[in-house]
Amino acid sequence: MRPLTPRRIVAICALLAGVLFIVVVFSLQVGAYPISVSDVAMTLVRGALGHWNSIPSSDRLIVFGLRLPRIALGILVGAALSVSGASFQALLRNPLADPYVLGVSSGAALGAILALVWLPQFPWAMQGLAFLGALATIAAVYFLGRRKGQLDSTTLLLAGIISASFLSAIIMFLMTTVSGRDLRGMAFWLMGDLGTAPAIGLGFLFFVLLIGIGAIYTTSSDLNLILTGEQEAHHLGVNVPRVKLVVYVSASLLTGLAVSVSGAIGYVGLLIPHVMRMLFGSDYRVLIPASAIGGAIAVALADTLARTVVAPTELPVGAVTAAIGAPVFIYLLRRRFA
Amino acid sequence: MIALLCVAWTCAAQNKIALAATKQQTQQEAKPDSKMNAKQMTREVIDETGRHVAVPVNVQRIVTLAPNLTEIVYALGAQDRLVAVSNYSDSPPEAKSKPHIGLPMNPNLEAIVAAHPDIVLITTEGNRRETADELARLGIAVYATNPYSVESMLESIEHIGGVIGATAQAESVVANLRQRLNALQSKLASVPVARVFFVVGESPLISLGEHTFIADALRYAGAQSVVRAKQDWPQISLEEVVRLNPDYLVFASSDFGGEDSTAKQLAELRSEAGWRELAAVRQGRVVVVSDEIDLPAPGLVDAIEKLARQLHPNVFEDGAQHASLRRLAVFVPVRAHLQNAVSQDSCREAFACAR
Amino acid sequence: MSAHGMPAPNTGRDAATGWMQNPVHLVVEQASYAYSTSDRDAPDFTLGPVTFSARQREIVGILGQNASGKSTLLRLLSGEFKPLSGRVELDGKSPSQLALRERAQRIAMVHQESTLMFPLRVWEYVLQGRYPYGRRLRFENDGDCLMAENALAQVGAKALLDRRMDQLSGGEGQRVILARALAQQPMLLLLDEPTQHLDIGGKVELMRRLRKLAEENRYTVVVVTHELNLAAEFFDSIVLVQRGKCLASGKPADVYRRELLEQAFETELDVEMNANGRPRVILRGGEETEIADASAETPKEPQ
Repeated sequence: MRPLTPRRIVAICALLAGVLFIVVVFSLQVGAYPISVSDVAMTLVRGALGHWNSIPSSDRLIVFGLRLPRIALGILVGAALSVSGASFQALLRNPLADPYVLGVSSGAALGAILALVWLPQFPWAMQGLAFLGALATIAAVYFLGRRKGQLDSTTLLLAGIISASFLSAIIMFLMTTVSGRDLRGMAFWLMGDLGTAPAIGLGFLFFVLLIGIGAIYTTSSDLNLILTGEQEAHHLGVNVPRVKLVVYVSASLLTGLAVSVSGAIGYVGLLIPHVMRMLFGSDYRVLIPASAIGGAIAVALADTLARTVVAPTELPVGAVTAAIGAPVFIYLLRRRFA
Repeated sequence: MIALLCVAWTCAAQNKIALAATKQQTQQEAKPDSKMNAKQMTREVIDETGRHVAVPVNVQRIVTLAPNLTEIVYALGAQDRLVAVSNYSDSPPEAKSKPHIGLPMNPNLEAIVAAHPDIVLITTEGNRRETADELARLGIAVYATNPYSVESMLESIEHIGGVIGATAQAESVVANLRQRLNALQSKLASVPVARVFFVVGESPLISLGEHTFIADALRYAGAQSVVRAKQDWPQISLEEVVRLNPDYLVFASSDFGGEDSTAKQLAELRSEAGWRELAAVRQGRVVVVSDEIDLPAPGLVDAIEKLARQLHPNVFEDGAQHASLRRLAVFVPVRAHLQNAVSQDSCREAFACAR
Repeated sequence: MSAHGMPAPNTGRDAATGWMQNPVHLVVEQASYAYSTSDRDAPDFTLGPVTFSARQREIVGILGQNASGKSTLLRLLSGEFKPLSGRVELDGKSPSQLALRERAQRIAMVHQESTLMFPLRVWEYVLQGRYPYGRRLRFENDGDCLMAENALAQVGAKALLDRRMDQLSGGEGQRVILARALAQQPMLLLLDEPTQHLDIGGKVELMRRLRKLAEENRYTVVVVTHELNLAAEFFDSIVLVQRGKCLASGKPADVYRRELLEQAFETELDVEMNANGRPRVILRGGEETEIADASAETPKEPQ
């Protein structure tokens, strides 16, 4: 018996943070414009010390102006998607749950697009409506996924897939009927794109995501029990409705924010929690922080691939996560759930 | 993490000499003189989308993010200052050898930054606003063009000429193009307008809306699109095409080969169930134009002339006797100004002969 | 555990022997409950007034057909449902009015079946029983581990400690689920059809174990089951329910009357007395019995 201790969580997080650090350094170094590891390190150290003028201007622009913000955005989006995937899996007691599969990403995307059409002048409207879209979708899928008052895992997934295609149809309708050139970039954004800095600012995004992940983390002991059944959790003293409310709202917030700044990036929320479970066990007290950092690593890496595979042409990061995620998922499915 | 930082620091210290060498190299590439001078002297202009842009007075390094902009820069004779272009910049052919910065929809910002541009030219027709915002955030001057008609395309050429310091060339190029368009107008004044269905994409079948510059280009060629849509690129059913009963079907093709491609296209349509019922197909009124008509650049005028010739052959009958001269009239002016406007006068002469 | 040592209010002496008697622990008096889909509609299912009581170390069996209200009664006892009328009291307190955690420290529920979506070690599962003790986001201490190990030892499953839950057999799984309930250190142990997936040997073993646990830990145990003969053999009292009504409650010998059981189970049967004074039910077959189509009329008991 090895009960989970805070020390072990810190150790696991430190390990993953180390991996993330290596990924960040690697990502800073590669790209269409080659910069050597030592140059990146020099640039970073000079930047950290405030010696801005001693950095070659193009290095500064590329490292601090382009690569670092993009990697930071990837880290935030990856953490948000992965944690919300892990939360949905626990609440819906379904290992295949994920914001993308459940249609929550599509709901958020529709919200964001409606904000672009109706309220283009407010930068926050996009985030707000994306959050509401995510929340409305998960509520709808949750109620459609019930049979005889019980959450049925097949019905739930079907409800999610159907909601996703229905919402995509509305998005397609909007994209073809609303004239205006701003909507043309949307097809691109919908595939997942980290190339555009969020209008709300990285710092603010980080702050709000931290609140969302933190709120979910406070329920991690409860989620462990809910995993074995809502009734059982209730009889063990878990306030199930309260936990569900907190986690649904927080996970929708995470998904809505992630989608509003980067489009719909699939498979991260599905795969990363599974990989972390295989590595570190399914205790949510360690799974939530591990998934956050793991998702950050995955998206940062996927975006680096998206930037470099066919440089100077860039791929949408969503295409990369799907191209890698789908086969890995099939492999896990056959290994674990066969 | 701290340990890793330390390792990174030591690595950097050891590689100081190597680093110094690299730095020198980068600076050489960067042409620091032009960069520094340009930084000191800028002037503010308002681009075609209403953005305020601080443009260096002395533009030495230009990056274009769309094929039509590349073509315009070549037409203005500024190709030596063009340091990088978008993918698909294949007109004129020599543009293909320029360094690429990715797709217009999603250019590689790093590659753009690495090209050290004094100015980046973008277009609302093909680029995203986010790209302009991102580049502006990085302190790079971005001039956006918004070509919604043939006239505005001509104005864009003048604007770009002004921004990159090629005002005189721009004026002569535009004057030449205007003259050709006016000549075409007066020629077509007496003939009835051809009702055409312009095929942008075949599956799904996509045509164009009223507010596109192709719709405007069609007007210059003595034609009018039968599709009346507010949307720019509406999807149309074949049934609707039958109902609209156009005089001509117009296809844009990248491998435009004149008569051959038209015959091939017609044969193809006659073998297809829905299409062969159309009156235009039955009577062989199918026209294939170069996809230059898709590009708001000087080549568009070529495409307009060729289209007009195919739609209204009677008007151009007298020119048939001077086939060689006519060809000159079509090709020489464009190629001439592409070659840094060697002799504007000779072009005009050639044009006058054709008339 | 301090509550266990406290004297219960209704302490009394056995009239026959004069010894201090084990106090009455669980009181159910005229308790009823009704489900309805909305407030205006007539209830879809009602559980009519039920009355019985149980002491520490006693095992109560709730018997009845499917959808007769057994599980509803169990949920009334667990505090999940608040009785519509009447009262349910455990150690002088109404379970439905206790805070969730406090309730979980007193009442443990063993569910019919627990499907696990993700692999979990046996020790992780049993440690979950310690959840009611401590803050919401908590880490288990040595004391919790000791409790979990003891609980596993009590159900004879200490060897399973590091096994994965999804690799256990039905009987092993049942024991681990029971161990998690024991780790809650409850006063009242509720089991919902625990024998469902066990073979005959496993059923008898479970009954013996419950008997032993009730003795050693001074639990009051309430079991919902279909096993008429096992219940008669091992349980101290029986509550017989049929279509939401309580037909009888009391000692097995009193409740196991032929006409009552025939009414409750809507089939013909015989009751014999064993030498130990416990009744035995013999199902009749082969004779001409009318097979009634009762399924259409039986009101559905929501899950």
